[in-house]
Amino acid sequence: MTQNRDFYAGLVATVFFAVILFVLIPIYVKVPSFIPGFAPPPDMWPRVVATVGLVMGVLALVLAFPKMRAASREQVEGLGSRILGNKIHVMRFIGVLIVFAAFVYGMPLIGFVPATVLLLGVLFIMTGKFERKFWMIGLSIIFPVLLYLLFTKVTHTPFPEGKLLSLSLSDLVTL
Amino acid sequence: MWNELLYAFEAVATLPNFLAMFAGIWAGVIIGAIPGMTGTMAVTLALPFTFYLPPVTSILLLVALYKGSTYGGSISAILIKTPGTASAACTVLDGYPLARAGKGGKALNMALVSSCIGDFISNISLFFLAIPLATFALRVGPPEFFMLMAFSLTIVASISGRSLVLGIISACLGLLLATVGEDIYGSYRFALSEDMKSGLGMVPVLIGLFALPELIKMVVFRPEDNNDAMKLGDNRLTLSEFRGSIKSIFRGSVIGVALGAIPGIGPSTAAFFSYSEARRTSKNGDKFGEGELEGIAASESANNGSCGATMIPLLALGVPGDVITGVMLGAFMIHGLTPGPLLFQNNLGDVYALFIGILFSSVFLFIAGKATAGAFTKISRIPQTLLLPCILILCVYGIYSIGASPFDVTVLLVMGVVGFIMMLLNIPAAPFLIAFILGPMFEDNMRRSLAISRGDLGVFFQSWISWGFFALTVLFVILTIRREWKKWRDNRNADSASAN
Repeated sequence: MTQNRDFYAGLVATVFFAVILFVLIPIYVKVPSFIPGFAPPPDMWPRVVATVGLVMGVLALVLAFPKMRAASREQVEGLGSRILGNKIHVMRFIGVLIVFAAFVYGMPLIGFVPATVLLLGVLFIMTGKFERKFWMIGLSIIFPVLLYLLFTKVTHTPFPEGKLLSLSLSDLVTL
Repeated sequence: MWNELLYAFEAVATLPNFLAMFAGIWAGVIIGAIPGMTGTMAVTLALPFTFYLPPVTSILLLVALYKGSTYGGSISAILIKTPGTASAACTVLDGYPLARAGKGGKALNMALVSSCIGDFISNISLFFLAIPLATFALRVGPPEFFMLMAFSLTIVASISGRSLVLGIISACLGLLLATVGEDIYGSYRFALSEDMKSGLGMVPVLIGLFALPELIKMVVFRPEDNNDAMKLGDNRLTLSEFRGSIKSIFRGSVIGVALGAIPGIGPSTAAFFSYSEARRTSKNGDKFGEGELEGIAASESANNGSCGATMIPLLALGVPGDVITGVMLGAFMIHGLTPGPLLFQNNLGDVYALFIGILFSSVFLFIAGKATAGAFTKISRIPQTLLLPCILILCVYGIYSIGASPFDVTVLLVMGVVGFIMMLLNIPAAPFLIAFILGPMFEDNMRRSLAISRGDLGVFFQSWISWGFFALTVLFVILTIRREWKKWRDNRNADSASAN
C-alpha cells in the first residue's frame, strides 16, 4: 500500500511541478525589461525549484514502479477502486471543501460572527458524534462571540459585519 | 564599574519594574499561546503604554512580552498542534506526538526548562559578549547569510522521514509558495489575484498546514476514538530526561545566541538550526519527529536563546535585527535614548539596569510558565470532537486579527486542505515548513550577493564564515548520499533474500 501511495505522490508532484514550470511561470512570473546590476531575473529561482520538484516527482514515480511490480496484485489497489471503495470518505471530504468555500464566500455577506457560529455548528455536526449535543450547541454560539469580544477589545480588529446585516440596519435607520 | 552595577541593581529592584516584567511575561505567554497573535503584535500593542513609564521599566516590559510570547508559542504547538508563533513551529514536530501519548505536561515542562535556560544564557551573553558578538554579526553579509541558509536547508534530509524524495518534493512546494508575491526588486510572482501580490502570510500557512489536517482527518475518517480526550499521564520531567537533553539545551542556547545576534535571522531559523543539529548528533536522532523530548529542548532553547541576543545589535550598534527590536528602538527614542556605542558612554547606568532587569526576567519566565502550563494542560481533557472544531475557529479569529484580511483566512483553509492531501500521500509536512521559512532568506541573499558581485560566483567564497558553512553543507550532503545509498542497498538485499 505504501508503494502505491508513493506512486500517487510522485504522480501528483510531477503534474503539479510541470504545470508550475510550463504554464504558471511563463504567465505569472513577469521578467522586467530592466534588472538592476547583474541580479538574477525573478523567474530564475521558481524555475530552479520547479525543475527540482519535477525531477523528484519523476524519481518518486520511477522508484515506486519496481516495488509495485514486486508486490502482489491484491496488495496494489488502483486509484479508481480505492475511490469507489471509500465513496463515503470522498463525499465527506467534498463536504469539507463545500463548507470551507461557503464560509469564505458567505462571510462577507452575513458577517464574521454569524459565519463562524455557523461554521462551528456545521463542523460539530460533521464529526458525527452527538453525545455532547448541549455542549456543541452552547459552544457554537458562545465560543465565537467570546473570541469576537476578545479580539475587538484587545487588538481592536474590525471584523466584517456583513453586507446583508448592514443593509438591513441602514434600511431600519432610513425607516 | 562595581559601583555602577550596584546603583543599577538598586534602580532595577523596584516594585514597578518587577510588576512590569511580571505582567509582560504573563501577557506574553498568553498572547503567544493564542494562534495568530504574535510577539510582534504584543510588543506593538504595549508600545503606547510605555509613554507613561520610565525608560528602563518600558524596555523591560517590552522585553518581557517578547520572551513570554516566544515561550507561549510552544504551549499551543504542543497541546493543539498549532504553533502560536512561527518560532514554535519546530516544537510541533515532537511536542504534539508527546501530547497525544499523554505526556503533554512533560513536553510543556521540557519546553519551559529549556526556554528558561536558553533565555538565561542569552541574557548572560548580552551582558558579557555584546560588543564582540555585534562585531561578528556585522561581518555576516548576504553571501555568508546565503551559505548559512544553504546549510540550514540541508536539514530537509534529516526530517524527511521514510522517503528523502518525498521530503525534497515537500521542500520544493514550500520554496515555491514562499516566492508568491513581490520579490526584492519589485516584480510580482504568481500573483493570481490582487491579494496574492503581498505574498502568503507565514502564520496562516504554518497553522493551516499543521492544525487543520487533524480536523479534516477526523471529519472525513471519523475514527472510533475521536470522542476521547487525550490521556493525561505522568507530567513530571525526571532528572534523567533532563540530563539526556542537557547537551541539546546548551547547544541550542549557543546557536540561539549566535544567530540571534545576526540582524534579520530571528528565533525561527535558530530553532530549526538547533533542531537539525540535535537530530544529527543525538543517539535518539531516529526518534525525532515521533515525540522526542530532546527535540523540544533543542528548538525551545534556541528560540528563547535568540531573544536576548536580538538585543545585542540593537544596544551595541543601534541596528534592530527584526520587527520587535525595531519597535523597541522606537521605545528607546521616545525616552530620549539612542541605542548604539554612545548609549554605553552616555547612559551606562541605564544599560546596566537593563541588563540586570533582563537577567531577572528569566526567573519570571519560569514562574509564569509553570503556572500557565498547569492551566493549559487541562486543554488535553477536552474531547477531540469538541476541541478540534473550536481550534479551527480560534485560528480563524487569530489569523483574521493579524491583518484584518479575509484572504489570510482563505490561505489558512486552503493550506489545511493541502496539508490533508499531503498527509494522505505520505508527504512529510516538516520539510515544507523549513523551506517556507528559510526559502525567502535563501533566495534574497543569493540574488543580493550576485547583484553585489555583478554575477561573480566567487562572492560566496570570500570569507572564512562562508567557507565554513560551505564545508559543512558539502559534508552533510555527502553523508546523506552515503546513508541513502546504504539504505537502498540494504532494501535491495532484503528484497532479493525474501524472493529466494
